[in-house]
Amino acid sequence: MTEATPKATSVAGTETRPIGLLIAAMGGEGGGVLRQWLVDAAMAHGFAVQSTSIPGVAQRTGATTYYIEIQAQKSGGGSGRTRPVMSLYPLAGSVDIMVASELIEAARAMQNGFVTPNCTTLIASTHRVYAMAERTAMGDGRFDGARVIKAAESLAQQSILFDMEAMAKTHGSVINSVLLGAIAGTNRLPIPPETFETAIRDTGRAVEANLSAFRAGFAAVERGDPAALIPDSDLKRPWRADPPMVEQLQYRVREEFPGPSRAILREGVNRLFEYQNRAYAELYLQRLMRIDRAERDAGGPGDLVREVGRHLSLWMSYEDVIRVAQAKLRPERQARVRAEVGAKPGEPVRIREYLKPGLDEATALLPGWMARPLLAAADKLGLRDRLNIGMTITSTALWGHFLLRLLSSLRPLRPMGHRYHTEQALIDHWIGNIAKAAALDLRLAAEIAACQRLLKGYGQTQRHGWKSFSSIMDTLAIPALQGDVPPDGAAKAIARARDAALADPEGSALQGVLETDKKPGPSAD
Amino acid sequence: MERSFAKEVKQLRLGQGETFHGEGILAVTKALLQSGVSYVGGYQGAPISHLMDVLVDAEELLSELGVHLETSTSEAAAAAMLGASINYPLRGAVTWKSTVGTNVASDALSNLASAGVQGGALIVLGEDYGEGSSILQERTHAFATKSQMWLLDPRPDLETIVRMVEQGFELSEHSNTPVMLELRIRACHVHGSFAASDNKTGRYNGNRVIAEPDHDFSRITLPPSTYAQEKHKIDVRMPEAIRYIRDHQLNDHFDGDIEDVGIICQGGLYNAALRALVQAGLADAAGGSRIPILALNVTYPLVPDEISSFCAGKSAIFMVEEGQPDYLEDAINVILRKADLQTKVIGKGPLPMAGEYTAEVVLRGLSAFLSQTKPAGVDLEAATSPIRELDQYKAKAAELLGDLLPARPPTFCTGCPERPLFSAIRILEKELGPTHVSCDIGCHTFSTLPPFNLGNTVLGYGLGLSSAAAVAPNFGKRVISIMGDGGFWHNGVTNGIGSALFNKADGVLMVIKNGYTSATGWQFVPSTEGLREGRSTGSSIEKIIKSMGARWLRNVPNYRVGSVMKTLRQALTGKGKGLRVIVADSECQLARQRRIGPEIAARLRSGQRDVRTRFGIDDEICTGDRACIRLSGCPSLTIKANPDPLRDDPVTTVLDTCVGCGLCGEVSHAAVLCPSFYKVDIVRNPNLWDRMNDSLHRRLLGDAAKVRA
Repeated sequence: MTEATPKATSVAGTETRPIGLLIAAMGGEGGGVLRQWLVDAAMAHGFAVQSTSIPGVAQRTGATTYYIEIQAQKSGGGSGRTRPVMSLYPLAGSVDIMVASELIEAARAMQNGFVTPNCTTLIASTHRVYAMAERTAMGDGRFDGARVIKAAESLAQQSILFDMEAMAKTHGSVINSVLLGAIAGTNRLPIPPETFETAIRDTGRAVEANLSAFRAGFAAVERGDPAALIPDSDLKRPWRADPPMVEQLQYRVREEFPGPSRAILREGVNRLFEYQNRAYAELYLQRLMRIDRAERDAGGPGDLVREVGRHLSLWMSYEDVIRVAQAKLRPERQARVRAEVGAKPGEPVRIREYLKPGLDEATALLPGWMARPLLAAADKLGLRDRLNIGMTITSTALWGHFLLRLLSSLRPLRPMGHRYHTEQALIDHWIGNIAKAAALDLRLAAEIAACQRLLKGYGQTQRHGWKSFSSIMDTLAIPALQGDVPPDGAAKAIARARDAALADPEGSALQGVLETDKKPGPSAD
Repeated sequence: MERSFAKEVKQLRLGQGETFHGEGILAVTKALLQSGVSYVGGYQGAPISHLMDVLVDAEELLSELGVHLETSTSEAAAAAMLGASINYPLRGAVTWKSTVGTNVASDALSNLASAGVQGGALIVLGEDYGEGSSILQERTHAFATKSQMWLLDPRPDLETIVRMVEQGFELSEHSNTPVMLELRIRACHVHGSFAASDNKTGRYNGNRVIAEPDHDFSRITLPPSTYAQEKHKIDVRMPEAIRYIRDHQLNDHFDGDIEDVGIICQGGLYNAALRALVQAGLADAAGGSRIPILALNVTYPLVPDEISSFCAGKSAIFMVEEGQPDYLEDAINVILRKADLQTKVIGKGPLPMAGEYTAEVVLRGLSAFLSQTKPAGVDLEAATSPIRELDQYKAKAAELLGDLLPARPPTFCTGCPERPLFSAIRILEKELGPTHVSCDIGCHTFSTLPPFNLGNTVLGYGLGLSSAAAVAPNFGKRVISIMGDGGFWHNGVTNGIGSALFNKADGVLMVIKNGYTSATGWQFVPSTEGLREGRSTGSSIEKIIKSMGARWLRNVPNYRVGSVMKTLRQALTGKGKGLRVIVADSECQLARQRRIGPEIAARLRSGQRDVRTRFGIDDEICTGDRACIRLSGCPSLTIKANPDPLRDDPVTTVLDTCVGCGLCGEVSHAAVLCPSFYKVDIVRNPNLWDRMNDSLHRRLLGDAAKVRA
């Protein structure tokens, strides 16, 4: 919570107009009930109160608002009109209490002028409910929440920001009761908490859970130390302990590689050992030695090794059926699933896996001389994406478990497969390019390394990613390595192209960027 | 109906000396009963749905009062009901969402207005305009002026709204004219109070029926009666109405000490205008304004001498009239011209021509008006400072927040049975290429929004198929039309299917049946099944379509995407011309959850076994390409921070709100997505067999896992 110094109000009529309270919520968060609690509590005190809403299609997860006006002076007595004329609209610049059930909704309120330093107490939950555009983005389309928090602290007279959704959950309640507690905790309404508690009791539904969440919200604001935001980095699940087999490799990571890269490389070694074997993890370090040398020569601090180490371990642990089976069989997985779905101790769970391996997955494990003609024939017949088997495997049952075990036991055969050879050749080529680029410009090297981000997914998605990757390499990276274009310009162009490749699934944005950035040079052959 | 309005029904029974607390639209409902209506009808839609919903639950009260309630299948049917008031002294009211509903009803309304009424006829219109609206942006006003029906636009407090309903019936009977009462979204949903009075029974009603039919050719809308009716409107009904409005002071006049200028506003905008004045330091919150205000609770017809006497002596008036065209501003200018007054009418200009008049818009307009007219006695600096400050705050917010905030358009609910149909169309597009999709009104219109972005036209309720009639013969591929069961009954069965079959249309029609008009709040339709606690008529959409002559009709299971795709592929690529009808039948998930939620809770409380199903995603296997989200958009399918220390891009995840509809698994199979999806059955209150089975498997598989590690 942060408090700006309350400014003297300069808006005429602030003293005489009713208190305005605007709630921004989404369907299913109990905004209507919150509105009712506030109205009931105000009425219990004999205050004049009016509320309105625009429910519309909000129950279908859209954003909506509720607006409440409360005249704090008791009505009655005197002659003439005692009931004030209340507004049906919140007026930007004169909203006293702005309540937002989610961070971006708080930002929207700010954008609309409903949070102003002259009068607004902002109460907002910092959790995120991602909007459609954020969810469908191929890379990372999330709006920067830190920016919203910074804006709130500067725009509100007083801002109360914490994860109210998480608090509601721990009390087995919905966010509306925590919001009510926070509203009561600010003391901006001349209504004591007991009256709100009565309003909650009168609703008669989930009373105990709602009361406990209300009290938690109230206490958090009164105490003034609501839980801070959890940064993404705290949600990471790093490897807990190094497997004994790779101790010597880990020693090498600590001794031979620069400081900034060690944490990532340690993770990479462990991952690749689990993915294949010790030799594969050693190959990882061997490839990185080359990058390390190139970076040292160029005077780099170890950032390039770190980034290449990150991307290389992801590429070397490319997705195939063996890896999927391994992941699905991991001993700690069932506990994780149980926690995620909220299964209580003693409640059996049955997990069914949705798999649809196809020709790509099958040929990955065949030797090249068998795989290549098969794939070519399938391509010719247009069957590449059609030949697949939809399977639903119950991994918690004997048969399903056995099948997954069978798949994961194919691990030793992986290096004999067609896909393994293809991937290793491509990796070596890519590593070579990065090393070459490092000699020209470390930024260019880093950008080439970061293009690995495009290689994700399975089947068609994976092939599409590969297409984007190789066209960026051919069009932008190779000419720079050949000295046909200046490396700093190429680095920037690659970054742009990478973003474009992640902008839409059809690849039209990438096409556009490549067209404009393609330098007409003498190198064209 | 999955919701109960028992509490609201109680309010409808309040009598003299008691206070009603509740929503604006319920205040209207109560006022109808206080006015002695004999019948009520309508078609649901935001923001007036509750009027109907509450009355459906108030069966007992209605039968005591002898009031007939008709849940009409369209606004046209509802409007035609008012015909009862032509021949008989029956008071009645109908309601719908305007202007779309008024469009549908206007055939009956024109005939009604021409014939004139004996009993008071009130049309309660939810003016669905501005923020929160779900329809095109137009005004009801034009309907009033073209047919000479009177239009009420009351100040948005419950007392005034109730007074205008009661006076509206009197006005209707005095002038033999149907009266429209328009309420904006926020006024329909405003919570307030008013002093109730006793309910009345109509002179004739269900308990005291009319004995003799009334035949009077002058009330029939055929020539030559129609010529006489038109003259009667102008010569008798209009002057009577104006007299009534003036004599009973239906419009509110508030005095002020500033003489130079005045404000004329639609009644519905009075509160916004007053709040602007309060902010400008020219009024107090109790309603005392320094600038005189004329609030028009009746916006048609205007009372010319009321307008001219208000304007006389003023150099300018500020005209607050929402929407376009500016009918009132034009009309008032004409009145002043005829009265030879030089008062300037300033409205559109300082106020925008189009769009909702929020408090901020009105304050901005008022500041501009005052700056332009500089009336004596107004501290211009103080009056305009709130807007100047607000602009600074907004500029600062824009600077701090920067990028455009992600929008939050409505979408299909979690587990909605309509979503898989659009997933199927999208996946099939990859194979067959995109085609024209003619959309309809209903929840399924959300297909036009992300992530599906599917649909090329929306032409009106039940008109999905009709609006493809001329696309199909001129388009290179077979086109798809959508129709919900709400749209089917609204008029799609005749205008769409009847017309298409009669004209030998070629195309694919997807009828989406979910048992309710879900988008308006789960009202029943004639084909709602008895199982779902509806008033079943036994109507079957499939049988009706077949009996109309459709040869190709298939049912599809909504959630089985592969199967939907197969049927759709056959329909789109099959040889031979003709209408291919696909009926997708699955209950609205939101209604279903409301229904089964309490049942499951009760089962769990009593210790009975229950299996809960939901989906999940292995974040380790998910590579975050979001193909699954782009083919679904389910609110419970979202993203989270990546727990992998080597990866930064977020991974996809399933929230606990998942209802386990199965779409995720179906899509991952049908579109060949990644293998990260899993489905979990959680057995709650497990029985002995469950526990034994589980412990056996855990021992066998768990130990095996340990051995491997």
